[in-house]
Amino acid sequence: MGTEPALCGPFLIHRHDRVFESCCPFCGLVCDDVRVEVEASGVRVERPDCARARSLFAVPATGQSRIGGQPVEAIAALRAAAALLAQARRPLIGGLACDVAGQRAALDLAERVGGVVEHMNGAAQFRNWLAFQDSGWMTTTLSEVRNRADLIVFAGTDASRFPRFFERCIDAGSQFGPLERTVITLGATPAGGRGTAHAIEPVDLAALFADLRIRLAGGTGAPNGIGGVPAATLDALLASMKAARYGVLVWNAAELDFPHADLTVQAMVELVRDLNRETRWAGLPLGGSDGDTSASQVCTWRTGYPLRVGFDPAGPRYEPLLFEASRLLAAGEADTLLWVSVFDPARTPPETACPRIVLGRPDMRLDAMGPQDVFIPVAVPGVHHAGILHRMDGVVSLPLQGPSPSALFSAAQALAAIQREMTHAAA
Amino acid sequence: MLRLKNGRLYDPAHGVDGVVRDLYVDRGRLVAEPGPGLPLDGEIDLAGRIVMAGAIDLHTHIGGGKMNIARALLPEDHRRDPVPAADGMHAGCGHAAPSTWTTGYRYAEMGYTACFEPAMLPTNARHTHLEMGDIPMVDKGAYAMLGSDDFFLRLLAAGSDQQLINDYVGWTLHASQAMAIKVVNPGGISAFKFNARGLDLDEPHPYYGITPRKVIQTLSRAVHELGVAHPLHVHASNLGVPGNADTTLATMAAAEGLPIHLTHIQFHSYGTEGERRFSSEAERIADAINRMQNVSADVGQILFGQTVTASGDTMKQYANHRHAHPDKWVVADMECDAGCGVVPFKYKDKNFVNALQWAIGLELFLRVGDPWRIFLTTDHPNGAPFTSYPHLIRLLMDRDFRNSKLDEIHPDAAAHSQLRSLEREYSLYEIAVMTRAAPARSLGLADRGHLGEGAAADIVVYRDEADREAMFARPEYVFKDGELIVRDGRVVNVVNGALHAVKPEYDKGIEQSLRDYFERYMTMSMEHVKVKDDEICACGASTLIPHACGRRA
Repeated sequence: MGTEPALCGPFLIHRHDRVFESCCPFCGLVCDDVRVEVEASGVRVERPDCARARSLFAVPATGQSRIGGQPVEAIAALRAAAALLAQARRPLIGGLACDVAGQRAALDLAERVGGVVEHMNGAAQFRNWLAFQDSGWMTTTLSEVRNRADLIVFAGTDASRFPRFFERCIDAGSQFGPLERTVITLGATPAGGRGTAHAIEPVDLAALFADLRIRLAGGTGAPNGIGGVPAATLDALLASMKAARYGVLVWNAAELDFPHADLTVQAMVELVRDLNRETRWAGLPLGGSDGDTSASQVCTWRTGYPLRVGFDPAGPRYEPLLFEASRLLAAGEADTLLWVSVFDPARTPPETACPRIVLGRPDMRLDAMGPQDVFIPVAVPGVHHAGILHRMDGVVSLPLQGPSPSALFSAAQALAAIQREMTHAAA
Repeated sequence: MLRLKNGRLYDPAHGVDGVVRDLYVDRGRLVAEPGPGLPLDGEIDLAGRIVMAGAIDLHTHIGGGKMNIARALLPEDHRRDPVPAADGMHAGCGHAAPSTWTTGYRYAEMGYTACFEPAMLPTNARHTHLEMGDIPMVDKGAYAMLGSDDFFLRLLAAGSDQQLINDYVGWTLHASQAMAIKVVNPGGISAFKFNARGLDLDEPHPYYGITPRKVIQTLSRAVHELGVAHPLHVHASNLGVPGNADTTLATMAAAEGLPIHLTHIQFHSYGTEGERRFSSEAERIADAINRMQNVSADVGQILFGQTVTASGDTMKQYANHRHAHPDKWVVADMECDAGCGVVPFKYKDKNFVNALQWAIGLELFLRVGDPWRIFLTTDHPNGAPFTSYPHLIRLLMDRDFRNSKLDEIHPDAAAHSQLRSLEREYSLYEIAVMTRAAPARSLGLADRGHLGEGAAADIVVYRDEADREAMFARPEYVFKDGELIVRDGRVVNVVNGALHAVKPEYDKGIEQSLRDYFERYMTMSMEHVKVKDDEICACGASTLIPHACGRRA
């Protein structure tokens, strides 16, 4: 609970010499059936055959701290970070791709320095949160999909950013006997390579779902269809949706990348609600990669708000539009960026005029470091140390193992160490 | 050693009713008078003050997935009650769905030292423990929800013997680090996933064919035979439905004499009399409680104003969504385990139904004779935020105040209620029973809820004010495990609390079928459902306090 998160090491489940059953932190599915082998050269994924897991489990156990691109001792980097934050008037604590302990430490630090917290996937997250906070929604979780869903409609996504989604949730067995599952995709390519796809641009989905609501309510839909989907197809789609026993509407807010996409999400969840008057339907918002579910969960229980929170003297201030990271940086309203990114070395901080402190995977490469920029390599939860991470559905959080210990700080330890250096410097 | 001298003690566990006596505190515990010669480190003169053990809330939704949904849903409510960081306390928010930090501070500031979250989904247990780990000041515990989870319903439908059910219940208590078992709308959360919109006590589940009565019989027996102190904690079928008093009485009978706790019973005490087809059945329900020694209940009092309802009862929350205020709501199915529904609510004193709900709750408090079997709750936040407890205590202790409030509510509701004719005023002793001694006894917390030697030094000191609301809102001193944590209703020392969990014996052979089930059908393995003992401190609790259970079968 304090600012010194202990690394919890009880999570090793099965250990056969150097082989570990493990949870994978590298996408929002957080698959917990991964087997890795620790070799001299690092961690190798034995199963499953997931390209994303294979590439991201391979990470060096050591890294080099840098200031302005020049190698420095770790303590010097921590002190430089502390000095930057001490001078900052409105730091942005961004990235936030880390485990629960890291989220807690990031919020502790943000509270101390009066920072704003925002996740690297904030743009996608807030397409969902804006709709959620305006109307609420009806949703489900992965095991419910696996056991109950007889019709799955993918809207604007084929779920391929979650490599094992079909293997884990659609093609797997149901306890209620064999399910005749129908897959329909509203988009260019059929999700999972099966079922029918109706080509439509994501930007037209809001109109499509609004039209389906009208038809469901007994009204007359658009006579010529919506976004290239003919009216007859819309009627047929709605008929299948009404006939489903447990339908699931799947979207991925990250792929609804256009202005006001929150209204598209809202159109979807409102149709789901309307369908529930007669049968059962639920939404499944894909997401949760880069620790984004943990980030919003921890921030919500600690402040009441799901990120985009600034720690003002009067208390946490929530600005779901104004506290968007790129806007804060572009407008110069944030004067220091602290970026936490421990899962994927490609998720580097944005280019910006203000000084940057980066807590990154040891294999993260920053091409253009400004003279004040600080890089602190941190360990990867699930590879180097134990931790906890939420799955995309928010209900399940899983214990990450640390099969290959590293001498590097975890993100939580590095953030606590920066706070400590601030205290020393102030004294 | 600290001496608290001359305080007037209310310690019902020892029959102490307003006796002036000194207390001695050493290393976090209450100890015997040391005799002459032992140096005191401190002494506080409490002449004229009222002293009770720390209060215990045995039904308050303080943490877990559904509370985070409620928090995220209500930024406009938080904005009216921002909480700045100060004096070692974290920033956060208050009112209906407060942040974890603020929850802990405000409970302590009212003299509460232990809080129990009553609705933890086993698949959400790790998350629940993370949230509770960030609730400071108070001890915590949680009840694991069973009764709509598919593994249990499969066992039941297959006619499994009681022993196997007991093993599964025992396993669940360990796996989720829980203090008790709760059942919510027995079988009904599952039935809603099969598109059922109602499920009466003797109605077969649409898929499994078993009845809610069977769920209650089986689970109450399991809890009893495992030796868990707290009885099966039951959120009965038909919550909020006019006429549900019959279901509630039948649910009491379903336990067949075994201990059973009916929660937020106010929401289950409704009749269908009158032109609005909504009436109070508080008298009939209270009579049943008075008659049946195996039954206890907490009230779930409603109080007027904005709040949010958060419940595992997806079936009823879906039906209630048309009352949402503001008009937004969430219903979610969860992991073949249970579900959750979050519906914001504004109870209005000029609304007939709300006003009668208010009167029904108070009637139940006043009509149940034995304060050891009726507990003070608002089902936070479902009936009202927990911060309204001092107001509720005044309503119970002060008849003139109560009647003045009765004058303000919808006149038809006031006329329909017999509340005005009830003269009872709770005494300080009875308040101490229902908020301290009784919940501690019900939960099996041997060293909490009383002021005897060996008890944990969770102590609250109040000024004896005529306005009981003011008195209970701002204790003069609160001690947690012997440390002074609150002075004049304000936190002065931030501490962390322990997690209480029961550890019944069971046959671990159940893991074979569980492992197989999770492997075949779930998206997480059985091993990862389990929250291990050493995760509890990593989640944030100061320590895990295990409670052994004396097996009864």
